[in-house]
Parts: sequence; structure tokens; C-alpha cells
Amino acid sequence: MQYSPALIDHFRNPRNAGIMRNPDGVGEGEYKDCMDLVRFHLRVRDGKVMEARFQAYGCGPTIAAASAATEVATGYALEALLDVEAARIEAAIGGLPEPRRHAADVAALGLRAAARDALSRGDTRSDRHA
Amino acid sequence: MNRKVYLDHNASTPVHPEVVEAMLPYWSERFGNPSSVHGFGREAREGLENAREQVAHFLRVGKEEIVFTSGGTESDNMAIKGVAMGRGRGHLITSKIEHHAVLRAVQNLETLGFEATYLDVDGDGLVDPDAVRRAIRPDTILISIMHANSEIGTIQLAREIGAVAHEHGIPFHVDAVQTFGKAPIDLDAFNIDLLSFSAHKIYGPKGVAGLYIRKGTKMVSVQHGGEHERRRRAGTENVTGIVGLGRAVEIRGRDMVDEAVRLTALRDRLWEGIRDQVPDVRLNGHPTRRLPGTCNLCYRQVESESIVLGLDLKGIGVSAGSACTSGNVEPSYVLVAMGVPVEWSMGAVRHSLGGSTTAEDIDYVVESTVPLVAKLRSVMPVRA
Repeated sequence: MQYSPALIDHFRNPRNAGIMRNPDGVGEGEYKDCMDLVRFHLRVRDGKVMEARFQAYGCGPTIAAASAATEVATGYALEALLDVEAARIEAAIGGLPEPRRHAADVAALGLRAAARDALSRGDTRSDRHA
Repeated sequence: MNRKVYLDHNASTPVHPEVVEAMLPYWSERFGNPSSVHGFGREAREGLENAREQVAHFLRVGKEEIVFTSGGTESDNMAIKGVAMGRGRGHLITSKIEHHAVLRAVQNLETLGFEATYLDVDGDGLVDPDAVRRAIRPDTILISIMHANSEIGTIQLAREIGAVAHEHGIPFHVDAVQTFGKAPIDLDAFNIDLLSFSAHKIYGPKGVAGLYIRKGTKMVSVQHGGEHERRRRAGTENVTGIVGLGRAVEIRGRDMVDEAVRLTALRDRLWEGIRDQVPDVRLNGHPTRRLPGTCNLCYRQVESESIVLGLDLKGIGVSAGSACTSGNVEPSYVLVAMGVPVEWSMGAVRHSLGGSTTAEDIDYVVESTVPLVAKLRSVMPVRA
């Protein structure tokens, strides 16, 4: 399997791995056929993602996609993150071979779920983290 | 620059330089068709028959009992379908952990009206010879049990299973692709009637293999055409490859025992090195009845392809026990049959050592694996 340098870089040096205390939104993406699981924790301010962290169970591309997804999400408006597309994440890791496309799908599912959760909490006021 | 360490010898091996040397004249000097009656053909025939002699000598059987094929898969299909088609109907016994070449050949026969029993294995991957005995029916026409499994390396009780088969007068086929040239096989003592073997697992070329057929074994050809291989396998022989197989076998006769001792020690060094430094790791397969160079490990709660990729980036070639293909992941059917829980089997990694493997290689693999697994576990959520 041939992977892009960007994907390899995210796999080797995952960005924002781990969890956070008192997140404003938590969401998971799961791909049962593949047993992949990606979980995101979001910190939100003024309706935008200030920080994102991830955990990912899956093959190398899934870890890389989740890592890249935290960078994609940072600065995103929550409302816009509800519709984030897998292609946006795939582009951030320089593309995926066809048999590994699900890596970006599962990361996008997780980000959307985290955005939904943050919006449902409705406690992302600008002064919350002041 | 990373060190390069190849630990995937159960998948394929590099061709031994002495094998390459033996094959060279057969590309463009002794290129004739071995079925031709002229001198060019006779030269090729000589190479072909010399290789047959080398294989027969190694197995201590008659030359006429060796048939060359294009691969282990063809050998397995020839043996199983050849016996079954010769009988027309009946019942076959095999195990759940056979290579797909056996499993799917038997499944194909089921679609044609044959019946089959797929035997369970125990936690070490062993087939119980008494279970073979219990599965025998009056219409059983073949018992096909592999000698060693490629994933876990467990070496079956072939002698005991062969005794059961012999007692009931049922032909016994053994897929020995992983043990041929690596572990002793006594065809008479094990009562083996058909034995599949391959070249590229023993430092020979790909695309060439063979089937031992005990004299008197009743079977028919499954590939029709010319009268090659004593009318048992139609098609011009791959003379160059077969010459390579013959030389590879000869070299195994010389190197096999010493290499087995060396690789067993290295295999155990690998397992002990990882076991002592990585929590939640288990060894799959029989602790001692195992191929000398095979070490299959499961890392709990880590996905195996991520380990394979991480080691690949360190220049290390190993194989994943679970395969993620087109979005579907399947834990190894071998580990499933052994009862390995999914949170373990999803993290299976096979290391298969070979002639070039050194102690330094093993230490490098251990040093690379320990931080990699720790790092992967740090990003992987614990699955329920």
C-alpha cells in the first residue's frame, strides 16, 4: 500500500492525540465493518473550535486521518463542522488509496458527531473560558 | 537510513544465490522444450529430471512419485480434486485452519455434491487425531490436514493423523508448503499419500512447486492437455523454475537442521524480548511444536495494520494477522478457530524469520516494537 508523505507524517507524529478535561463537545465515528473507532474532544469558543483532540482505533490511515482532522477542525465554525466532508480530511493527508477511503469517512463522522454534541450542549458562550 | 529487516519468510523468501546460478543456463542456453526429441529438448529434459531426482532424494521417494506444478495452490487443488474426481462422490475431512487453497478446493467440491467435515483446532492450533478418527464415515475418501499453518506455525500431529488414515485405508494429503525443507517429514512413517510443497518458501523461485503422489494412489488429472508429467499434469514444465526448486531442495538438505536450531533460538529471543517489555501481548500457536522461524503475537487493543505500518517505516517487513480490505476487516480465521478473543486477534502480527535473520535484527525489531506499541496504545481508545 502506497501512502502519501503527509499521511505518513501524521501517522508518525500524530497531532493533538489524547483527551481533554471538560470538553465542550465529544463525538465518535465508527465504521463497524472495519472496527475503526475515532473519538474527538472539542474546546469551543464563540461558536468556533478552539482546540480538538483525538483518539483513534484503526489502521495507520485512520490514525493519520484523525490527526489531520483535528487540524482541519481547529478554527471551524461549529455549524459548518456539522457538514464537514470526508474529502476535506482526505485532502489534508494527501489522498488515500481506494481500499482505505473509510479512514477519512470515519474521521468526518466523528467530527460531525462532536460538533452536534457541542451545539446540543449550548454552553459554548464566549465567556465560558474567560 | 533505516536498517532493513525482512521478517516475512512465510510469505516468500529471497532466491538463494546458488539457486540463481543453477537456473541461469536454463533461460537461454538450455531453453528447449523437455518434450522435444532433439538435443535442445534433451538438455532441458536432463535439467528437469535431475531436479526430480533431487526432490525425490530429499523426500526419500521414487522419482516417478514427484509431479511438478505452478505453485502450492495448484498442488493442493490437484491432490484434493484429483482424488475426489476419481471417486465421483464421497466425504472429505479437513480442518478449519487450512490454507485457502485447501479450504476453497473442498468448498468447491461441496458445490458438486461432495460432503466435508471441517475439524476444529485447540487453543494452540492443533487438530486432535481422535477428532479425525471420529469424523471418518464409511464414504470418507480423503483426509487433508496441513503440516504447519503459515500464520501461527503450529506443526500438526501428522504421524498420529496419518496412522488414523492408514488404519481406515483413506488417502492422506498433507499441505506441507510451510514445512517442506524446514522441518523433518517422513512420508512412510507419517503414512502420507500426497504432499504439497513449494519452491519460494525455501529460497527457490516463485511459480514452481510440486506434489508427491504415493505410487498406487487412485486419482485423476484435473488439468487436461498434453502428456506431461506422466499424464498427471498437462502443460510444458517450467524447466528453469524446476531446476531452481531442485537446487533449493538440495541446499535445504544441507542447511535445514542447523538453520532450524538457529532460528528457534532467534524466534524465542524475539518473543521474550517483546514479552518482557510490552504489556498485554500473547504468543499464538503451540509453544514448542512450531515452525522454527515463526512468531505470531497479538497485542491487545492495538490494530495490527498500524503496527505493520509503523514497523515498515522502520524498514521492518512483517505481516498483519487481520486484513483490512476495502473497508472490511476480518480477524484471522485461524486465530478465530483457535478461540482467540477479537480484542486480541485484531492486533495479530506475524514475524517469520529466515536464513539471513541475525540476533541484531531481532534486537532491532524488539527496540522498534516496544515504543511503537506504546505510542499506538496512547492514541487508541479502549474498545468495549
